[in-house]
Formats: sequence, structure tokens, C-alpha cells
Amino acid sequence: MKFLRNLLDKVEPNFIGNGKYAKFYPLYEMADTFLFTPADKTKNGPHIRDAVDLKRVMSFVVIAMLPALLFGIFNVGYQMNPNGELRDNFLVGLKIVLPIILVSYTVGGFWEMIFAVVRKHEINEGFLVTGMLIPLIMPPTIPLWMVALATTFGVVIGKEIFGGTGYNIFNPALVARAFIFFAYPGAISGDRVWTVDGISQATPLLQASSQQGSQALELLGNQFNWWDMFYGFIPGSIGETSTLAILIGAAFLLITRIGNWRIMAGTLLGMVLTAKLTNVLGEAVASSNPMLFLPAEFHLVMGGFAFGLVFMATDPVSAAQTDRGRWIYGLLIGFMCVIIRAINPAYPEGMMLAILFANAFSPLIDYFVMKSHIKQRLKRFAA
Amino acid sequence: MELLEHYLSLATKAIFIENILLSYFLGMCSFLAISKKIEASIGLGFAVIFVNGITVPLNYLIKEFFLNEGALSWVGVPSLAMVDLSFLSFITFIATIAAMVQLVEMLLDKFSPALYNSLGIFLPLIAVNCSILGASLFMSERGYDFGESAVFGVSSGAGFALAIISMAAIRFKLKYSNIPDGLKGLGITMILTGLLSMAYLAFSGINL
Repeated sequence: MKFLRNLLDKVEPNFIGNGKYAKFYPLYEMADTFLFTPADKTKNGPHIRDAVDLKRVMSFVVIAMLPALLFGIFNVGYQMNPNGELRDNFLVGLKIVLPIILVSYTVGGFWEMIFAVVRKHEINEGFLVTGMLIPLIMPPTIPLWMVALATTFGVVIGKEIFGGTGYNIFNPALVARAFIFFAYPGAISGDRVWTVDGISQATPLLQASSQQGSQALELLGNQFNWWDMFYGFIPGSIGETSTLAILIGAAFLLITRIGNWRIMAGTLLGMVLTAKLTNVLGEAVASSNPMLFLPAEFHLVMGGFAFGLVFMATDPVSAAQTDRGRWIYGLLIGFMCVIIRAINPAYPEGMMLAILFANAFSPLIDYFVMKSHIKQRLKRFAA
Repeated sequence: MELLEHYLSLATKAIFIENILLSYFLGMCSFLAISKKIEASIGLGFAVIFVNGITVPLNYLIKEFFLNEGALSWVGVPSLAMVDLSFLSFITFIATIAAMVQLVEMLLDKFSPALYNSLGIFLPLIAVNCSILGASLFMSERGYDFGESAVFGVSSGAGFALAIISMAAIRFKLKYSNIPDGLKGLGITMILTGLLSMAYLAFSGINL
């Protein structure tokens, strides 16, 4: 440690003031604050004193994603060879997933650095999370150049042109995923057909919506039962399959109070209510659409719902920022997710688009919540 | 019941699936200019709903009873019965819209001077707002009947209002962002419009 500190101190003069590499100060600053606690103190004005800063928040989110990531790596191997050894499955999965993560971090870090140097802001830790989210919501069969393209679009258009971490309107990882989804619909097979080494398999969501006029549960049949889907032994995007692993992450986020419980509860509630509603409506009109009859507990474990609920919807930047707004925002996500899944035959997977849609409306929700607060206060003071 | 269901699906389609702003990109000029302020956007949104809700069925009646081939047969003069005036539809549609906008302008000036002032030049400019003429032309192209055109008029206006109000709220939040100088103002708004219409793509593909 001492050695690192000395090294950093030695090169510091090159990066400040009129130093040789003053342009690249953000790089030095990143290495310095990443390895050591910065010595800078805020100088004036009231400040909240707490150990939680941006770096710690972001690192905690990455830690919370680890169970989903580890299980995802194992599951990629497991899907290719269900009878294989645990260790072999893990290694096979690692060989597929690791390059995707590396590409995501390298490409995203590259753009982050360019913008930091040119626009003279610091390199934020926000990318730690985005760079991990992007691989986790990609299908393992995705070509690496598409990961690079998606990351570029997500980081540059989704975040950096708004000023970087904390200023964006849409969740950058979702922008990346949606971009790839609409630009190369055939390749982003996470919610459609999952191919590894020439074996194609339908994901549960596709399976459940595959045939008009029959019941979703019958279509799932013996191939996918609830517990398998809960543990995550199903095809799907890398990080989204295991609801159990995601719930462990959710518990961690809730205990450390980094993920907002109102958003999670709202999303869950919205999903359950809407699923019940579609069940009843489907019954009433005797619909032939199988997805209308899918019970709420199946919505929870299928596709990206749990992952989106825990890691995407709770992104504090793109979500609503008032308490009541968070409830509404969550309800909107849950509602939209089931609606897209049930009545939009083009996209069996609804969660990512539902969150993106709610992102677009979160400033409006906040605006109306604030308006109503102001009105209440005025009334109270008038009385 | 059947009819109600049909109108409901038509309305959903016009508001979400084929949003006139975000999937046809009609009415961009006032969308980009007015979405700076939330109050003004709400005002403009309702003005568009109102104008659209009246002009589309009105234009339907004009088309049906004056412009279409054989539409004039109700006059009773045999030589008029075969006249086809449909080449006049553009100019008559625009004239109806202009008249309606004038009416809205006078009403707003009388009842809500504050909103009238904040909308400024863009209120008379609704007369040349492509989304309004677009709604009338869609009506004539798709052959809606009277009830359908009324529903379509109101709901395409509502789609416009929803898009512009949510955009205004986003731009309100953008005040705190650190946008590169070259992109400030219209540049970032255009990019946001693209991202917003990507979010609306969630609905594309729904068959009602």
C-alpha cells in the first residue's frame, strides 16, 4: 500500500497545474480515489456527514449483483450440458461470460475516460454498475461487437451527453439493451430462442405464449416448473434467470438501504394486481391469449422481472425521487410489464421496456407529486 | 358494448401505439419550442386536444357532404350530384383548422390570459401544426366514420398532450444536468425525443 501511495504522490505533480499531463488529471484522480480515501474535505455550507459516498453506493450495488452474476455464469454452462460437473459448467460459463464483461467494461471505460478528459469532469464510479448491468441483461449468445456497440450507445447517448453520472434521464444500461433490441432484433435472443453451440431452446416466456387458445401453464408443462424457474435453471439473459440469487442481492440492497423499498414494493404490487386483473379479464372474455392466464407468481420468476425490479427500477437517478412518486413509479412499471407481456405479441419480455417507459414519466410523476405537496402545505397554512 | 370496445381500442392506438408525435413525428415544431415549460405544455396539450376533437369530425362532415364524389347529391340538383371536389380537401381542411384555432385563441384570451401569454406565438401557429392537419388527413385516408373521427381526433390530441407534457417534465429536470454546450437546447431535445420514442416502442406490435 505504501508503495502505491508513494508512486501516486510521485506522479501527482505531472497531473496538476501546469504539469506535463494536466489534461489527463481525471485519470490520476480516478486511480487515486479508487485506491485511497480522498483527503479533500468540503469547505463550506452544511453537509450530511456519513460514510456513504457515491463510490460506496456503487460498489455495494455491484456486490449485490454478485450472486446473480455467479449463478448466471454457472447457468450458461448448465444449459449447455445439464449433466455436467458443477466445476465444468462454471468454467464453460466463465469462458462465455467473462469476455462479455471485459468488453463492456473496456468500451464503457474508454468512453467514460474520453468524456472526462475532454469535458474536464471526474471519472465517476457510476460506470462500475452500468458496466456490470449491461452484460447481465444480455443473452450469452450475443456477439461481442454488439456488446461494444450497445455499451457505446448506452454510455454516450444514455449518459455522457447529459453530463455523466447522476444527470441522465434514462437508465444507461436499459438504453443500451433497448438499442440492441430494436437495432438487431434477431440477435438479442434473450427473450426468444436461446442458442448455445447450436442447441436452440425457447425461454419460458416464449414457451408460455407460443400457442393461441391454450393455457400458459399447460404450455410450460413439465419443461419448466415454478421451482426450477425460481432457482434459475432456465434459459435466459445471463443475470436474470435466478430469482433466488436476485432476492439475495435485493436483501443486501434493502439492508444497506441503497435500493429503495418503495420502488420495489410498488413494482411488485403493480405486477400482482395487473396479473390478477388480466386473469379475471381473460376469463370474462374467454380470450385465446395464453399469457392473459399466467398467474402472478409465474410473472415473478419468468424473464427479467425480478432482475429489473431489484437492479434497474431502483436506479436512484432515473427513478422518481419523491416518496409518493416512487410508489406510483413502481406501480407503473409493474402494470406496464404485465401489459406488454400479455397483450403485445411482438415482445414476450416486457420488463426492460416497462422500466424504460417509466423512466420517461418519472420527472412528470415527481412534478405532480410536488405540486400536490405544495397545495397541501398551502391549505394547512391557510387554515 | 361492441362499439365501445372498438372506440376504446381506437383511442389506445392513437394515444400509445401510433402516437402522432413519437411514431409519426408530426407537430415537432411546437413540441420542441413549447416543451420548455410544463404549464405552457399542459395548456398547449389541451388546446390541441380541443382543436383536434372539433376539427377532425367537422372535416369529416365537410368531406362527406361537400367534397367526396357524389357528396352533393343531397342538394337535389342532378348536375351537382356527380361533382367531385375532393381535390379541395387540403385547402378546406386547413381553412377549418384555421377558423377553429382562431376560436380557441379568442376563448383563451378571454378566460385564461396568463396561459394565452405564455403560449405566445405558438397558439396561432397551431393552425399550421402538422399534427392537426395530419389527424384530419389520417381520418380521410383511413376512412373513419363520424364517431370514429371524433374519437380519433380527441385521442390523437391526447397522445400529443401526453408526449409534450412528459417531455416538458424531462426538460425541467434537465436544468440540473451538465450538457455539452453544442447540445444545449434543441440538440439535446431532439436526442431525448428519439429516446422517448424508443420507450414508446414498447407498444408497437400490439394488435387491437
